[in-house]
Amino acid sequence: MNAPRFFSTALQYVFLATAAFLSIFPFIWMVISSTNTSIDIISGRTGIGEAFATNVANFFTQVDVPLVFWNSTKVAVLATLLTIVVSSLAGYGFEMFRSKARDRIYALVLLTLMVPFAALMIPLFMMMAKSGLINTHIAIMLPTIASAFIIFYFRQSTKAFQTELRDAAKVDGLKEWQIFLYIYVPVMRSTYAAAFVIVFMTNWNNYLWPLIVLQSNETKTITLVVSSLASAYYPDYGVVMIGTILATLPTLLVFFVMQRQFVQGMLGSVK
Amino acid sequence: MAEVRLTDIRKRFGALEIIKGVDLSIEAGEFVVFVGPSGCGKSTLLRMIAGLEDISSGELTIGGAVMNDVDPSKRGIAMVFQSYALYPHMTVRENMGFALKFAGMAREEIDSRVNDAARILELEPLLDRKPKALSGGQRQRVAIGRAIVRNPLVFLFDEPLSNLDAELRVHMRVEIAKLHKELKSTVIYVTHDQVEAMTLADKIVVLRSGIVEQVGAPLELYDDPANTFVAGFIGSPRMNFLKGRVATIADGHVTVALTSQPEVALTLPIASTSVTTGDAVTLGIRPEHFFAQGMGDAELAVEVDVAEHLGNTSYVYAHVSDSERIIIEHGDVRKIASRETLTIGIAASRSFLFDDEGNRIR
Repeated sequence: MNAPRFFSTALQYVFLATAAFLSIFPFIWMVISSTNTSIDIISGRTGIGEAFATNVANFFTQVDVPLVFWNSTKVAVLATLLTIVVSSLAGYGFEMFRSKARDRIYALVLLTLMVPFAALMIPLFMMMAKSGLINTHIAIMLPTIASAFIIFYFRQSTKAFQTELRDAAKVDGLKEWQIFLYIYVPVMRSTYAAAFVIVFMTNWNNYLWPLIVLQSNETKTITLVVSSLASAYYPDYGVVMIGTILATLPTLLVFFVMQRQFVQGMLGSVK
Repeated sequence: MAEVRLTDIRKRFGALEIIKGVDLSIEAGEFVVFVGPSGCGKSTLLRMIAGLEDISSGELTIGGAVMNDVDPSKRGIAMVFQSYALYPHMTVRENMGFALKFAGMAREEIDSRVNDAARILELEPLLDRKPKALSGGQRQRVAIGRAIVRNPLVFLFDEPLSNLDAELRVHMRVEIAKLHKELKSTVIYVTHDQVEAMTLADKIVVLRSGIVEQVGAPLELYDDPANTFVAGFIGSPRMNFLKGRVATIADGHVTVALTSQPEVALTLPIASTSVTTGDAVTLGIRPEHFFAQGMGDAELAVEVDVAEHLGNTSYVYAHVSDSERIIIEHGDVRKIASRETLTIGIAASRSFLFDDEGNRIR
């Protein structure tokens, strides 16, 4: 290897190693901190401590873990399933059905991506309040169901779905909803898997909107609980780190289980 | 098998008319090929017969029943698509039996039909494979098998061999011809490949811009084309066209002098009375219908551009004038070089006369 080539390769490795370290550092720091006491964490201790069991015990004492996890799981899974059903139907429809208004409506849908959530919070809150949905999980799920980004993602993926498959299915006697259910969904399963990972993570980590609409401890999700632990007058950062680890685990699990399908879905579902 | 009748069939997309009033009669058991260049409307017409495109106006009957608004699955048709359109998540067996299962047929009957079709198409060892584990030719056979099991009145093929390589295409062409003989069903087959059309069809329908230009048996179209479009489309390499002018008309014969070489004149028999002296006409001569010097009714001097020697025959690309280029097929000529001047014979019996608008003068 000549000198310029060596220098170039070395630079690439240094850059990649730095990026990898920066990516993984918060996770490592979170895990290490969960074994230390709050005082050790604040003082900047970076070694593994002995307070892990205490932190876990304190966390389980302070938090109704089964209820909080049930709330988070219920909200994330239901919202994800509903989002995927609605958005994939919309993506399929936008791609398969020709109409003069199609592209205009689609452009309007995409325009909603440009509206920041901060601008929607107050009108949404008022809508939910008028509907009597404040402090309910439905209030968290409703605004997330029709996701412009996931509709866009499904429409783009549907471009790879052979229209002749739809024609063949029609000749075989299937109605449109049956084509969607029996042909489109199985053929596009990688797209669904990728969408599931993305939407599940978004819903699981959803913080701002639940913070606004959920007011009682019985309805709160894990992100809110961890946040409330961290904003206490004397926060126990060891306990916060345990909560953060537990909050991270389901998204990691979903990603690892669906990793192969996720990658395939991001690259294009149909082969 | 059933007959198919199309009466003034039209297809419009807004103001644009794609199919412009097609009248066609396809007899039961006939193998009909729709042929034409890209965009001529042949696939659209097939999809209208299948029920995958709405019919804007006109009437379609299959087996005597009007089918304009009937669901594709209830028209008694089965369709083979260019891309095979096999369901990728199903095995070969499931693909072939899917329509039957969906129609509520008993499991034993489905198995029996699938096994019969698999035997005919030699697909038995592949029944439990998914489409992605099959070659192009095998996928095409599965697509045909999926059509066979439905026992349709009419088979519709939409350019089924276009995605196959040349060798496999020839093989599958023979297979389809054998299958038609065995099943004796009505077949409507779309292709842009005139060799497929000539070899498979009982009847060819030549389409251009949504209009049927001519309908007839393959050799009828070859021997007696109705216009320059059909004459140019049927036959490979395509027919040569030479501009000319009517020099004399006498005793049921017309003498045409070529524009590029006025000294070359050919006298042809004529029944039409619409031609007058001085009219611009076109002389059509197929590449294989040129003769050696001294063998025809007239002689034409051409300058050779390129000669392709294929072993069994040679194609000579030459020009008569700067604007008129011709192709000559010659069985013997192996030593023709570029820029060489070649004198070839043309015969009245092997020439076609067309008027200024490209219509045949008989």
